[in-house]
Parts: sequence; structure tokens; C-alpha cells
Amino acid sequence: MSSELWPRVEALLSRVERPVRYIDTEWGAHHTPDAEHRSVLLYPDTYEVGQANQGLAILYERLNSTEGLGAERAYLPWLDMAAEMRTAGVPLFSLESCSPVAEFDLFGITLPYELTYTNVLEALDLAGIPLYASDRGETHPLVVGGGPCAYNPEPVARFFDAILIGEGEDAVAEIAGTHLDAKRAGLSRREVLERLAGIQGVYVPGLYRHSAGGVLEPVGSAPPVVTKRVLDDLGGHRPPVCPVVPYMDVVHDRFTVEVLRGCTRGCRFCQAGMVYRPVRERTADDIVRDAMEGLRCTGYDEVSLTSLSSTDHSQLEEVLRRLSSRLDGTGITISLPSLRVDAFSVSMARLASGGRKSGLTFAPEAGTQRLRDVVNKNVTEEDLIETVSRAFSAGWHRVKLYFMIGLPTETDEDIAGIGGLVHRVQRAARQAVPAADRGSVRIGVSVSTFVPKAHTPFQWEGQVPFDEILRRQEVLRSAMPRKGVDLSWHDAEVSFLEGVIARGGREVAGAIERAWRGGARFDAWSEQFDLSIWREAFAAADLDAQAIASHTYERDEQLPWGHISSGVSDRYLWLERDRAIAGTTTADCSFDGCTGCDACGTLGVDIMLGGESRGGR
Amino acid sequence: MAAGEFRLRVCYAKAGRARFLSHLEVMRALERSSRRAALPYAVTKGFNPHMKAAFGPALPVGTGGEREYFDVWLTQPVSAAEAFERLCGATPHDLGVIEARYVHEKEPSLTAAATVARYEVAVAGEGVTAELIEKALVTVVGEGRLEVEHKGKTKVFDLARSLPEEVRVRSCGPPVILEVTTRMGQEGSLRPDVLLNEALSRIPCGGAVMSVTRTDILIEEEGVLRRLL
Repeated sequence: MSSELWPRVEALLSRVERPVRYIDTEWGAHHTPDAEHRSVLLYPDTYEVGQANQGLAILYERLNSTEGLGAERAYLPWLDMAAEMRTAGVPLFSLESCSPVAEFDLFGITLPYELTYTNVLEALDLAGIPLYASDRGETHPLVVGGGPCAYNPEPVARFFDAILIGEGEDAVAEIAGTHLDAKRAGLSRREVLERLAGIQGVYVPGLYRHSAGGVLEPVGSAPPVVTKRVLDDLGGHRPPVCPVVPYMDVVHDRFTVEVLRGCTRGCRFCQAGMVYRPVRERTADDIVRDAMEGLRCTGYDEVSLTSLSSTDHSQLEEVLRRLSSRLDGTGITISLPSLRVDAFSVSMARLASGGRKSGLTFAPEAGTQRLRDVVNKNVTEEDLIETVSRAFSAGWHRVKLYFMIGLPTETDEDIAGIGGLVHRVQRAARQAVPAADRGSVRIGVSVSTFVPKAHTPFQWEGQVPFDEILRRQEVLRSAMPRKGVDLSWHDAEVSFLEGVIARGGREVAGAIERAWRGGARFDAWSEQFDLSIWREAFAAADLDAQAIASHTYERDEQLPWGHISSGVSDRYLWLERDRAIAGTTTADCSFDGCTGCDACGTLGVDIMLGGESRGGR
Repeated sequence: MAAGEFRLRVCYAKAGRARFLSHLEVMRALERSSRRAALPYAVTKGFNPHMKAAFGPALPVGTGGEREYFDVWLTQPVSAAEAFERLCGATPHDLGVIEARYVHEKEPSLTAAATVARYEVAVAGEGVTAELIEKALVTVVGEGRLEVEHKGKTKVFDLARSLPEEVRVRSCGPPVILEVTTRMGQEGSLRPDVLLNEALSRIPCGGAVMSVTRTDILIEEEGVLRRLL
């Protein structure tokens, strides 16, 4: 690679905050400047936000361990650094070789969250790469997206040459390998894209056109529906045990073992619970082996057992017992990021914590049993009270409860019900601790606004309008006990914008571009977020943002993400929607019978528990 | 020290790109190195058990160090040579480990003991010469006291106390390289760039401090300076 930018980057570092974001040289970084095919993987936010992202760590590891392929990392420079770079004419650079991003073969960008989309454009612009795929020429890198937000790719589809839907372990090597072969054969960009469209899970937006009826249809041989890529067995794919160990104090600064993928509890609002199906566990032996090897290789003092619902792992207790006995006396801790609302979870948290009791988090989601049944959150008030009582008698002094407002069928009674439930939780918590400690009991309550997501039973529902959300927040505020409760909100303006982007189609791209041109950056940072820029952008793009967020789709109406499949059928999702409105719950197929979501059959995979196939197909 | 613990003192550099690290980042990185090296480190007692280690005085972001120190307490007396080898293999290049030796538990702590720091300061600018800087320094030092504004507060340094040795010219440059030795401690630690900037403000041609490197940290015992290892 020709231009090493480090001396020019270094000259800027004395003038910016946190220069550690830009220096590379961390333990575990791979330097593969001579690979025949080179990718640079970007997290579209700052280093400290993106460094610990597991998805990118997996892709980085996979590409760097594949013959002929290499990968480097890039993050979006903070505002001060971006300004310095523009003044000095320094383009967006990779960390490892400090090369211009525009010189790589492939520019991979993960899509973790709708409010990073202006950062995607900022990254492309800093790199000197045209924002729209249709404006790119033969010399530009292939810009490939992926990650959680790819399940509704349309708002950003025009910015990407290709987008991977689903799991990247194998697909990333296949995409880069196909690109390498095409490079050797001297194929044109168009020919490369046509080949990529033939890879399972790859969506090439430029090969689709809107028909007269508003349906996105493929041109040529691209598939009419792109079905997500999925691994049949996590056991065959070890997590990276020697990942990059940052110098900086980053978000999730610990070693991580993904203990299982997928969750079939079936919460109807939860996109992850639908799109990561089926459940595939790693075995206890693999988890313990990888945790110990990862700790040895990284030197971290904490290992986190992650997944959508780690307490659902069939061998969790065994894993925790084995790990805590091996880590005894080392000062190394084990953390469990997500807890179910039950007694088992509290005892697992006790096992993991090794005496440290910082706080526990539970998510009842709704304030009344009626609404919890609607969303299929199979938790009763009794479960919650008992769980919290156990936690406080076991020595915790703080719990945090997550709720949502704006769920389908919600009434003011449901909202006021959150206040009542919190009050009863607080009373139970106080009763569970010695009288002298009652003053130290704290209940955190975090309330977010529901965004109906693609590929969920609520995908057809419109988001509750912005003004109505403000009114409902007032209802909640007046119903909430004041003493001993720390109430926090997810900003309603932010939720509104999330709704517009999450529910929008290809037309939203123009507004994202205008917002970026209007100065929107780091929208996920509350002090940077400015809805007025976005309102102007939507107006200039001639779009009614509220109508996009709040539109309720008919069953036979074309959804903007209708050409993308997570494997779970719309037939099933609609059935679940009907059950929701009827207040009927659905069981978890990992423990009870198959519920007929069609994921296993469509994807050709099975539920894997404790190393054995559960035969969901 | 609890009975059966062994105090290993490690000398390392904060060089190259690592000079952009904060003190906290250096500490965390070296603790992780110690765990990767599988040193049999002692763990503190109490509610939040962690590696028993202690670090020398902080360096600011952007300033390098040639001989920085930390102590780590071990539960088994691994030979110092082996501990050194293992640390070398487990530490990022720019935080290179230079030496590791056991020190007596009676040896004062790194923060209490290290009262003098030696720096190398590079100064450059049009018309700036070693001679001009030396002259300006004589004037500043001759005034006896230096007022420094820091975070809205004014600190006054007694230069006779803060400068145990005269500033020496190491290279006439450009850039001009100066060796500055200053006292650190609770009464304040005079930063060499502050002293040099004051001297440069007395020279009509505007020079600037290009880089600061702490070359060593010293103990002062009965008027004699000695190394920590």
C-alpha cells in the first residue's frame, strides 16, 4: 500500500482530545499489509464505542486468518480530529497501517444502530469515497454493510455496494474471497457485484428496482428475496480468543464469550429475538476453554458471558461453577449481562459476582399483566416481586427495571400500572433488607419508547405519534413513586427518529444525506443530537417523517423490507400479531414444542442445546 | 506486605505511540501485561479484590518516559530474570520492559520515594539558540520564583527548591536539547515545559517546546540522587 499517513496523523494528535483513539499498536492488533486482498472494517462511531464490538472482532479475526485476505480497523474520528484532518487534508485512515481507507479493496461498515447513519456518510466523505454506490468507479473500494440494522437495509441501501444480511463468520470470507478471485480475473465492478449477489445472504441494492407497484424487484439473476446467512453450529466457530486489547477505557472493556446465539422466548417487540433464530448454544466445555484461553491471551480482569439471554443456557450453572473455581483468588470476575426475571437468575448472579454486588437489571417491559401478555413477556408480577426480594435479601441494594411505553394496545391504565408495579417492587425490596438499610434501597427505572421493528409481529404497526408519547410520559411521571426511585427516559425525540429510519424505505436516504450535509454527526450522543436538523432535512427531501414512523401497514401491503427474510415467515409473524391483540401468549420453542415460525426449515438449521440438536426442523 | 509476598520492581519505557497514553491507560496496560505474563501476582483483600501493584508518578498525555517504574507483589519468588522475560513477551512494544528486580519491602513507595525527575526537552524555532535560552533561564531562575496558572489557580514555585540541578544543554540543535531536573512532591511538581516556556517568553524570537521526555525518576537521599533500580 502506497501512502503511510502516520507522520501526518501524529502531527495532529497534540491538538485533539484522547489521542489514544488513533494510535493503533494495541496488544492483539494484526498487521497484514501484504495481503493480496485487503479489507478495512469500520464501526461508525468513536473508537471507545466501537472497539469492543463482537461482530467486527469476529470478522477481523476471520479475514486475518484466511490465506490471501487481510483486515484492518477504522473508527470515525471525533469532531475535533475530523476538523483537523480536513484542514490538513488527511483522509480517513485505517489504524494498523495508517493507510487511506480509499486504497483498500473492501470497506466494511457495520450498521449497529439507526442513529449512526450520518456517521456512515461522514466516514465515506472523509475517506473521499462517493456517498452513493452508483457514483463509484472501478478504483473505489467495494463498500459492504452488515450488522443488526441490515434487516431493514433500505434507508442506507443506496450508500452501499452490497449488504450482508445475517451472520458473517463464513460469509465475510466468501465475500472477500469472491472479490479477490474477481480482482485476479480482472472483472469489472458490475461483474463483481453480480457475483456477490449470488452469495447466500448478500443483498446488492443496485441490482433492484422499484416496480410500478412499488415493489423492489431484482434486475437480472439477483434473488427476489434475500434470506439471511446463518451458522448451523457455533461450536465450529470459536470466538476470537486473542482479540485486540485496547489501551483506552472503552465500552465493554472485558473479554467476551458468546455463550449462545438466538433467543426464542418470543417477545413480540424484540427484533433480535426473531432475526437471530434458532437458538444455538456453545457447550460448557467450549465456553470454559475459550474463557480461560481468552483471559490468558488478553490479560483482562473480567470475562463476560454474553448472549441475548445468558441465563437461558442449559449448562450455565455448570459453566459458572467451573469458571469461578478456576478464577478463585485471581481477582478476575465473571459478568452476566442479561438476567431473566426469576430466582434462578439471582442465584446465577450470586455465583458470578463473587461477592461484588453492584446492581441487577431486569426487564418487565410493561406495567400490567394484560400488556405483558400482549407482548409475550412471560413474566408475572409475582415473579418480579419474588426475584427482587431475593436479590435484596442476597445483599444487592440496587436494581434497575426496564420498561417501554407506546406498545401496541397500550392504555393509560397500563402506563399508570408501571408506577404501581415499581411502588410494590420498592416495598418488597425494603422488606427484604434489615431495617437499618432501608434508606439505601434504590430502584432505577428506565423507560424507552417502543419502535415497531422490521421482522417482528409488530412490524405492521405504526409508531405512536411523537406528541402522544410526550403525553404518555406525563401520565407515567405522575404515577411514579418519587422517593427512592431514579427515573430515566430514552429521549422521545430520539425514539421518533429511530422510528422514522427503522420503518422507512429507500426514500429516506435523501433525508439522511441532507441531515449529514446540515451538520448532523454522532446523533447517538445526546449532546450532539439535534432533531431540528433532521426536521429540516425531511422537509427538504419532501418527506413526512411522522407519516413514515406512524404508518400502519395492511396485511397485503408491501413492506419496505419485504425482499429481506430472516427465515421467520410473515405468516407466523401475522399469527403472532393476532395472538398479541387477543392477549394470548406463545411458549418458548427451545423448551416446549415447535411454534411453527418456519426459521429452522427455511434456513436448514436446528436448535442446538448443550451440544445436541433439538430437532426443530 | 503480607508474609510470603515478594515485591518486584519493573522499569519500563513509555515510548513511541504509547506516549499518547494517559497514566491510567498505562497502568491498566501494564496490569494486563502482568496477567498475560502469568506472574503469580498477589491480590488485595477486601470488597473489590484486584492485583496488588503500585505505580510511579504520572506522566501527562503526550509526554514519553525512558525509565518509568511500577511495583507488583508476587506470591511466589519467580526469578527476576524469568519475570523479566515473561513480561517482555507480554507487553506492547511501545511500553517496553527494561529491567525487573526484587526490592526490599522497606524500600519507600514509588510515589513517596521518587522526588526528583529528569527530563529531556526539545526546543525549536527561528532564531532560537542554546545561548539565548541559557541566558533567559539565568534571568528566570535569578528571579527566584515562578508563578504558574493551572486550572484557574495560581501556584508559586520556589525555583531554588524546584531545581536541584542546573539546566544543561545536551545539544545545540536544532532542535536545542536541554536536560532539566526538577523536584516533584506535594508542594507541587514543576513541569519542565512550563519553565522553558517562561524562558522562551523572554526571548524576542518565538520558539516552542517540541517534545518533553522524562528520562529518569530519582530518589534523593542526604543530598545524593540515586536511581529507583
